[in-house]
Amino acid sequence: MGHFVTSADIPVDGEKLTNPLVKLVQLVSGIVAIVGLIIGAIIWFTAPELTKGAYSYSYLFAFSFFLTLALGGCFWTLLHNVTNSGWGTSVRRIFENLGFVFPFMFILLIPFLFPSVQQYLWEWHTIFNTVTAEGTGVSRFDGHLFGYWGNFGNEELHKALFDKHEAILDTKSWYMNPVAWYVRTFFYFGSLGFVIYHMRKLSVRQDTDPNPGVKNLFTARAHASWGLPIFGVALTFWAIDFIKALDYKWFSTMWGVYFFAGCAMSSMAFIILTTIILRKLGHFKKVVTGEHFHLMGKLNFAFVVFWAYVTFSQFFLYWYANITEETTYYLLRNTEGWNVVSIILVLGHFGVPLLALIRQDVKKNMFFMSIITIYLLAIHMLDVYHMIIPERAPSLSIILHMDDIHLWFGQFSVWGLDILAFVTIGAAFLFFYIRNLRSVALYPHRDPRILESANVHN
Amino acid sequence: MSTSVKKVYGYLAEFETPSQLWKACEKCRDAGFKKWDAFSSFPVHGLDKAMGCKKSILSYIVFFGGLMGFITGTSLAYITQVEIYPTIVQAKPANIFTIPAFFPIMFELTILFSGFTTLFALLALMGLPRLNHPLFASKQFKRATDDGLFIAIEARDPKFSPEGTKAFLAEIGGTSIELVEDDEK
Repeated sequence: MGHFVTSADIPVDGEKLTNPLVKLVQLVSGIVAIVGLIIGAIIWFTAPELTKGAYSYSYLFAFSFFLTLALGGCFWTLLHNVTNSGWGTSVRRIFENLGFVFPFMFILLIPFLFPSVQQYLWEWHTIFNTVTAEGTGVSRFDGHLFGYWGNFGNEELHKALFDKHEAILDTKSWYMNPVAWYVRTFFYFGSLGFVIYHMRKLSVRQDTDPNPGVKNLFTARAHASWGLPIFGVALTFWAIDFIKALDYKWFSTMWGVYFFAGCAMSSMAFIILTTIILRKLGHFKKVVTGEHFHLMGKLNFAFVVFWAYVTFSQFFLYWYANITEETTYYLLRNTEGWNVVSIILVLGHFGVPLLALIRQDVKKNMFFMSIITIYLLAIHMLDVYHMIIPERAPSLSIILHMDDIHLWFGQFSVWGLDILAFVTIGAAFLFFYIRNLRSVALYPHRDPRILESANVHN
Repeated sequence: MSTSVKKVYGYLAEFETPSQLWKACEKCRDAGFKKWDAFSSFPVHGLDKAMGCKKSILSYIVFFGGLMGFITGTSLAYITQVEIYPTIVQAKPANIFTIPAFFPIMFELTILFSGFTTLFALLALMGLPRLNHPLFASKQFKRATDDGLFIAIEARDPKFSPEGTKAFLAEIGGTSIELVEDDEK
């Protein structure tokens, strides 16, 4: 040893991502995203209803997958600040840049705000639409923000829902009504977007602060303490409103934490992958060592185990209790073809990465880690697919009044829609992510803890 | 004064600062000593590398301990609940697909066995518990748990020599160099 990183090794103006190749990737991904959105729009306005419905699910799947990465970035930023950590200062800017993709994701969420899209995805939206259209004296935005309190409320709405035999939806209508849905959706992106914007801003301000003391760092720590609950609420209820509500009759108390476990795991894999790529491009040479990969690999390992823990807890309790409202999720996913995916997830999302990540030297090795992180991202994509897509055929057959819709693996048109949505949103995500990376220095070079982080040893 | 012949344990040298200790350790390592150790009352980061310590084999032992627990848990639950005495609850199957019900047992026994393996293998690797250590004969060594930083080179080391090692310890910055003799005869 005897070669500690000192302030002489840290560039005064910081490292910037000026590589022309990265700029090209950003440009190409931007173009791909726009082309993908145009093709999606053409499908939307010309294709038959079944294709439109199928594409809505593809879009929700792709959107959810990339949102988990951005949400995970928010989580790691807030966690790093609130725990007053020193180890990760040299990679913290990657957390922040990944988290700051979150507000931009709202642009891609806009299609979900239209009732014509909602009707395919969420049956309860469809029921509200039907009730409104049938002239029962209920307008679509009749439910107030919190629906009703006790027995007071919109009597016409109750009556209309009861006439449809939707007693469950009537009871849940204090939460599940279009007004509250819109307010919540704006709240998630507004609040967490505000938090992550300011977290990143405090960090970036340090780079040019004429008196780079601990002020920005401590301010960030103080604000992260209330930012973290906002993150928890936004993530949990987003997952409930957009994914769990695909089947509004389903009850689960584990859903939010299940979704969160996937977020934290996949985003850490993505962060490790970014760090490896940036190192290959010649950055982070002084400040990121095998120790950082070891630490991040440990966190990744921890969340592989945590994912298995919560996923199994959800399954196990419902398997034992055997209550109709709870088992519907697994009835759909643990029968016929989807059961294959479920079993692949048990082994591939838990067994394989557990054994692959258990060794220290693997976690410190960039080559192995690049393979493992790509694998983890792929298997997490399958996890999100397994959350959303099994709902597609049963829901569409109810909404479109078609019996026996088969949208199986064999049908290329459905596959093609999934891939189209994935490429479109993935390219847009990459565009915003590279934009964030390029706009500021790659690591907080004037942070008081940068040397502590560069010399970290565990 | 005793006239009996005592067994020489080795040389003990004190160091002023952790940084001196650290550099001295690097020199000891590079000089090729094998049977020696450094003592500090607080963790000095990177000292293991400076001493040239290899990674402990503990993790391999723990892995196999955990594997043993996993196999024990699986077979314990499976053999009793499926093979020997199937318990039918709520008409749930008693076959290989019952395995989710066994996960808690498999998990707990894996943890338990790896926990125990960690503790006992660690004690075994460190040679603990032991009643005495030859270095306790040295009066100044009591400060190793307070503010003293020491390096001890054992006489068992092939490179050890009564004069050479003493000179070497002085050269790498050691003070209060003491020849420690084993109390036991």
